[in-house]
Amino acid sequence: AGGGAYWVDSQQKRYVPVKGDHVIGIVTAKAGDMFKLDVGGSEPASLSYLAFEGATKRNRPNVQVGDLIYGQFLVANKDMEPEMVCIDSSGKSSGMGIIGQDGFLFKVSLGLIRKLLAPKCEIIQELSQLYPFELVLGMNGRIWVKAKTVQQTLIIVNILEASEYMTAEQRKQALAKLSGN
Amino acid sequence: RHPLSPSLAGERLCSTEEATPGSGTYTRHGFIYSSLAGCLERKSEDSGLPVVSVVRDSESQLLPNVGAVVTCKVCSINSRFAKVHILYVGSTPLKSTFRGTIRKEDIRATEKDKVEVYKSFRPSDIVLAKVISLGDAQSNYLLSTAENELGVVVARSEAGVQMVPISWCEMQCPRTHTKEFRKVARVQPQFLQT
Repeated sequence: AGGGAYWVDSQQKRYVPVKGDHVIGIVTAKAGDMFKLDVGGSEPASLSYLAFEGATKRNRPNVQVGDLIYGQFLVANKDMEPEMVCIDSSGKSSGMGIIGQDGFLFKVSLGLIRKLLAPKCEIIQELSQLYPFELVLGMNGRIWVKAKTVQQTLIIVNILEASEYMTAEQRKQALAKLSGN
Repeated sequence: RHPLSPSLAGERLCSTEEATPGSGTYTRHGFIYSSLAGCLERKSEDSGLPVVSVVRDSESQLLPNVGAVVTCKVCSINSRFAKVHILYVGSTPLKSTFRGTIRKEDIRATEKDKVEVYKSFRPSDIVLAKVISLGDAQSNYLLSTAENELGVVVARSEAGVQMVPISWCEMQCPRTHTKEFRKVARVQPQFLQT
């Protein structure tokens, strides 16, 4: 009998921090050498200024209140406040850190995020044929999108939000109408 | 025993020739003074002079001293320390609980920097600890579990069942058989009740 993992897939909107999850957090406070981030859980997560690639006591990262951070949980359990880092175990950032200016942040359900993170996701592939765009998916239900113009960004946001309830057919029709324009 | 009468702090009670000082008093220049605001008690001793003492309540509150072993319950944990409520001093229960702190570096005697508070205590654990300091302005007693006989004595697993200790750092749940990390106390055999 092989090993393998069993899990129960369910739908929810409220996020519970889990160790190792990659999430998008919003900086709410700077307290000395720690930042407090809102990740959508019951408690704000803490992030040390040294937990960025190439950060030292002299070379601090330029993080302001209101910035978006993409990071992963180092410590997350029900008894303590969660702790985030923006580097992996080898010290490389691997895509984590401060998310750039502009773009649009919105919230979706956790089930849709898991669908979008599956390899070869059809929704992402079809959208990328429409316009080029940058996309960050947080396991806490937050998505950040940035395209060339505001209008293109908002179209992508609307498609992603609607793909929670649209069937594949409806989505292909909607995209065909948009690319026909 | 003579009837009680109220006394003020700093009040001169009598001279040391008439009585011996007891608790709640001090001596200066051959006289006994009260150090508390409370009730004056005069107990006649069979041998020698009566003992004069001042008490606040009908039973005196037992305060944890430095070096006393206390029983406490963990109320919250942090990556740097654990906050506890002190319930018993030795074997006497306290009427009102005191608050204590166990710092991360005081949990174990060896490998202090590798300690993780989450792997030593959890909220609602019962812990035997020793008082190392009476505390600072926040009036939190500073406690330590850096001995083999100190640490977690009673803990519940995530399933809610009382766990059985299997080593100095692990406890096991008898229902789910999952092991959880704790800093377990090696209780002396004479204190165990089976």
